[in-house]
Amino acid sequence: MSQATINLTAETRTPGTKNDARRVRAAGHVPAVLYGFEKTPISLACDPKPLLVVVHSESGHNRILNLAVKGGETASCVVQDWQVDPVSDKLLHVDLRRIDLAKKLRVRIAVHAVGESKGVKVQGGILEFVQREVEVECLPLDIPEFIAADVTELVVGKALRVRDLVVDSKLKLVGNPDQVVAHVITIKEEEVKAPEEAAAAAATPAEPEVIKKGKKEEEGEEAAAPAKPEGGKGEKKK
Amino acid sequence: MLMPKKVKYRKQQRGRRAGKAWRGSTLAFGVYGLKAMEPFWVTDRQIEASRVAITRFIKRGGKLWIRIFPDKPVTKKPAETRMGKGKGAPDHWVAVVKPGRIMFEMEGVTEGQAREAMALAAHKLPLKTRFVVRAGNVSSVAAEE
Repeated sequence: MSQATINLTAETRTPGTKNDARRVRAAGHVPAVLYGFEKTPISLACDPKPLLVVVHSESGHNRILNLAVKGGETASCVVQDWQVDPVSDKLLHVDLRRIDLAKKLRVRIAVHAVGESKGVKVQGGILEFVQREVEVECLPLDIPEFIAADVTELVVGKALRVRDLVVDSKLKLVGNPDQVVAHVITIKEEEVKAPEEAAAAAATPAEPEVIKKGKKEEEGEEAAAPAKPEGGKGEKKK
Repeated sequence: MLMPKKVKYRKQQRGRRAGKAWRGSTLAFGVYGLKAMEPFWVTDRQIEASRVAITRFIKRGGKLWIRIFPDKPVTKKPAETRMGKGKGAPDHWVAVVKPGRIMFEMEGVTEGQAREAMALAAHKLPLKTRFVVRAGNVSSVAAEE
């Protein structure tokens, strides 16, 4: 159930301005920082391919990386955080955290629904995830790809909670056991409005209430004044 | 039509739409989403038209989240009016959308249905869009099968 480790190579770089980071990206690398384990942080330029496997993986981002820094240290680490360009989806920066393989750590693991729930199949509901990940405490090498949650018995109005999840004995669920993971909901079909009604609603947009006290008075003045002739000033000038 | 219930000021300046949407650029609720690829003012009518297009297509099948809200008033002067005499009256509301912004999210439908629904919605919008899927969604895979 635990995941295989991934090898990652990196070079050290001197931390600098955002222009320096841009140059690293232009050279085909991803700027990264390695920290944790009570050691000094190191700025790195990493190979993006293994990192993309981790970040875009279906099993989440808890894969253990065997990092080898050129001419430097080797360490086991995890991806702690990452930044992605919102338009191009390219990796911009990665935070790597050193880990001790013999020490327990807390990670968030994805919950995957298994089977089709009765609420969806028979009652016509929708399975909605309230939280897609749960926090777990375990040894790094015991981190699973995901936690499978059996949802076949879930009906409308019933919820799958953290305490209902069946996990390996090596894992310890952390956090509130009553927290809802998923539930089946029903959605009402929207009534189709008559075209005349819809047109009337669209044609008369009401103005929202203005919070400021003094503003209301001004509004009143404005409302009272629209009868003023247009271009009055211009006429006077003539 | 979507619009704020209360506002501090009736009119706003136009502002600029530089940069990317660093916030609201990831799927937060659903499995499928519609991402904006260029900056635009999306009007309340366009949002409503997209919502209607999606809900009519999916019927009772799925859940929809609208991630943009038209909170910016746009003013307009009456027709055949001379310039000057102050700013016009509020006419409609727009949502300022920057590239990367997730505008709609869906759940409870197959990927094919979601693609079709989002395509219908995209036709109602003035900007280029992209269909996005949440990584690692086993429940949707099971539903596809």
